[in-house]
Amino acid sequence: MSTTTSSDTSAGLAAFDRTTSIWGPITLGLGLVVSLGAALYAAFGSGMGITGLELVTAVAAVLATFGVIAIIEPISYFPILGRSAMYQAFLIGNIANKLLPAAVVAQANLGERPGTRRAELIAGSAIIGAVLIHITTLILFVGVLGTWLVGMLPAPLIATARGYILPAVFGAVVLQSVVAMKSRRTTIVAVVVAALIVFVVVPLVPALTFYATALAVITTIAISWFARSKTPPPAADPAHDGDSPAAHISKPTH
Amino acid sequence: MAVAAVDPSSTDITPLIHHPVLWAAAVGVFAVIILQSVIYFRAIRKAAPAVSLTPAQVRSSVRSGAVAAIGPSLAVALIAVSLLPLFGTPAVLARIGLVGSAAFDVAAAGISAGTQGAQLGGPTYTQKIFALAFAAMTIGGLAWMLSALILTPILSKGDAKLRKVNPAVMAVVPTAALLGAFFTLTFTEVVKSPAHLVSMIVSAAAMGACLLLAHRLRRPWLREWGLGLAIIVALAAAFFMTAA
Repeated sequence: MSTTTSSDTSAGLAAFDRTTSIWGPITLGLGLVVSLGAALYAAFGSGMGITGLELVTAVAAVLATFGVIAIIEPISYFPILGRSAMYQAFLIGNIANKLLPAAVVAQANLGERPGTRRAELIAGSAIIGAVLIHITTLILFVGVLGTWLVGMLPAPLIATARGYILPAVFGAVVLQSVVAMKSRRTTIVAVVVAALIVFVVVPLVPALTFYATALAVITTIAISWFARSKTPPPAADPAHDGDSPAAHISKPTH
Repeated sequence: MAVAAVDPSSTDITPLIHHPVLWAAAVGVFAVIILQSVIYFRAIRKAAPAVSLTPAQVRSSVRSGAVAAIGPSLAVALIAVSLLPLFGTPAVLARIGLVGSAAFDVAAAGISAGTQGAQLGGPTYTQKIFALAFAAMTIGGLAWMLSALILTPILSKGDAKLRKVNPAVMAVVPTAALLGAFFTLTFTEVVKSPAHLVSMIVSAAAMGACLLLAHRLRRPWLREWGLGLAIIVALAAAFFMTAA
């Protein structure tokens, strides 16, 4: 390391921060505007006669269920991705299943821990590589060959795919979530709450049908919160009572 | 076949799912992502020497990212193809393929169809229901973008501080929200018919087998392919059950 490195470092990174803090929000914002335009066109421009109230009701039902996750996820991924890569990740999507593994593998290959400036540039490069592959496979297999593949299938098969895709997706996703979350207590609470709401509450009060999922989410959060284990396992060090695994990532311990 | 007219109550959703405006939006999303990648790549190459990254190391990071993405990308493509009959190419490309994810978007579409007392895919799945479901899953997905746009500058300032406030919130709330939502959605499907129940059980069993084998045989790709394979096996089970 030469003596000039320090000023070079700050100048080089300052230019990078300037570029990403301007173009990150602009590109993410552009993605948002394009998506919003498509959504509003589908609802109001396509002649479907959807009213504002119908759209608000549908969106509210979705947000009541997933809104809290939409706020928690950016907070959870920030320490791993760093500021600049946040704008990449939330534009591209498929974060947990693809972008995070790509970033972590590239950081590991160069022996870098998440949380440093070097790791941030490595994550950004890895995400660019992941995007190249992702866009190519999507255009080829879904855009070009997808319609042809589906066209080759007999009509009854397509009808089955349309009719039973939801249970086929949810069966796998619910199991994967349980395994990934590794939280027996919350899993039990969620199963009991969901079963009570779907099999008991909704049949008794059919008006609640639209809100079943939102109701289950709120109830599960509340009960899990009060039933959480209040004696954290790493209680050996009372000075570090506020430490979470994510905090370890953002601030390497010695 | 001539392009059928747009008709809110028609169950032939083909004219709407392949609408030129939806195609334009999908192409627009691809263009924005490519633009961002080009800008970022140039910025990263310029800044790399400042953190002692050589051009070769930057290239190798791009390559590791690309290689790591092959399995998940093909797995996502498999899921996307199985959702084409339901949502059509442009919506699947932009939502399931890029900005969103299969789990969230399919769930959001199901929930919004429910607000009209309709179900995805069945006789109640009209053009209007598709339009509403597409609009709601897209706007719901914008919540992630919006919260990333708002929270990123805040977190860059007070990252460590925010986490210290209450790490238990970060541990319990997302887990409870996710599990509560997916168990309810799963149970709601199960009560619809015996074939729905069987599809769900087969899907979960196939996923369980993939996870177990991935762990036992140390084959991580099986985990990535789990959802895609489970969907195919579950749909096959539903097909044979309803055909019999």
